[in-house]
Amino acid sequence: MSGRGLVIVLAGLVAAAAAGCAGETAAPAPPPPRPDIAGTWHNPLGSPNRLRPPDGDVPFTPWGAEQMKAARPTFTNDFRETTDPAVLYADPNGYPRIMMHPMKFKLIVTDDYVYQLFEYNQNWRQIAIGKSHSPDDPPTWYGNAVGRWDGDTLVVDSTGFKASTWLDSRGLPHTDQLRLVERFRREGDTLAVGVTVEDPGAFTAPWTAQLQFNRVDDGAMIETIYTISDELRFRERFLGVPSPIPIRR
Amino acid sequence: MCIRILLLGGLTGVLLLSTAAAAHHGAASLYDVKAETTVKATVTEFIWTNPHVEVGIASVEDKTQRWLLELGSPPNISARGWTAKTLRAGDVVTVTFNPGLRGMRIGRLLKVVLPGGKELTS
Repeated sequence: MSGRGLVIVLAGLVAAAAAGCAGETAAPAPPPPRPDIAGTWHNPLGSPNRLRPPDGDVPFTPWGAEQMKAARPTFTNDFRETTDPAVLYADPNGYPRIMMHPMKFKLIVTDDYVYQLFEYNQNWRQIAIGKSHSPDDPPTWYGNAVGRWDGDTLVVDSTGFKASTWLDSRGLPHTDQLRLVERFRREGDTLAVGVTVEDPGAFTAPWTAQLQFNRVDDGAMIETIYTISDELRFRERFLGVPSPIPIRR
Repeated sequence: MCIRILLLGGLTGVLLLSTAAAAHHGAASLYDVKAETTVKATVTEFIWTNPHVEVGIASVEDKTQRWLLELGSPPNISARGWTAKTLRAGDVVTVTFNPGLRGMRIGRLLKVVLPGGKELTS
């Protein structure tokens, strides 16, 4: 084969190859490695987290201050006169209160969602990665959360909370204008969570709390579903208050 | 007030529709948290339940002396070595607890010495 003939054949092969590849796209690049925040986490024993500014007071609006003053948590008052909605009405704890509960929570990381599984009452919360809030999202107990990865940090923006929950077990109030921006970052065996709280109905300015959780090696989660029967049985047996309905076990 | 609301909820069915109750009962409102009572007792019942595990005891010296004791939640006491079979009715144990206020025959269990000598806290 002459030199010119070889060029023609090679050109033909290249053209054929190009035609055969028409319509195909390069394989997508693998996603960047995600920071390892997955795992089971627990409030530090002996120094549980508090949702408060590290320095200074919570900047309450007059309404917020009034609500806070009127709150009667179970652990500082006679629980029979509590105003805690989680006890009075058996409401879910809401967020971020449930994350600070003495029981564990687990972070499950997938490509499109991060899930928080709470041992307490087997509640869970989902964080949609790379999504935006929808104006049609209805208010929910645990809010509507969207997230994105910022280097080694998961940034979560949440709105759409029911106004009736407490932000913590001490009675920290909020309205339906609540917005939370959280930054989850792993530091060794510690999960650091910065929580910025914004709610013009309850607070005069945004404020930030720093929470920390310890890694738990044993990821086992034990069923702890509290029922009305549990509550009524406790009242009947410990307090002598007859149940208005048959108690089931 | 709370009881009235519970009663109302029971009548209307509102609470019956709830899937989750909560029972966080402040210890200070029920128990003398500064006092400790220790008795050798026979276990009359051991109920592994939410919100808090319960154990009934009767004094070995005087069987008419009975208490109903509250432990921690199942996950919390599991982390301290308890299981649903740690105690059985008839076991003779030594129990230390915060006694109930106002003479109530209830208590918050602090420590138990099992028949084999093993100690568990709650």
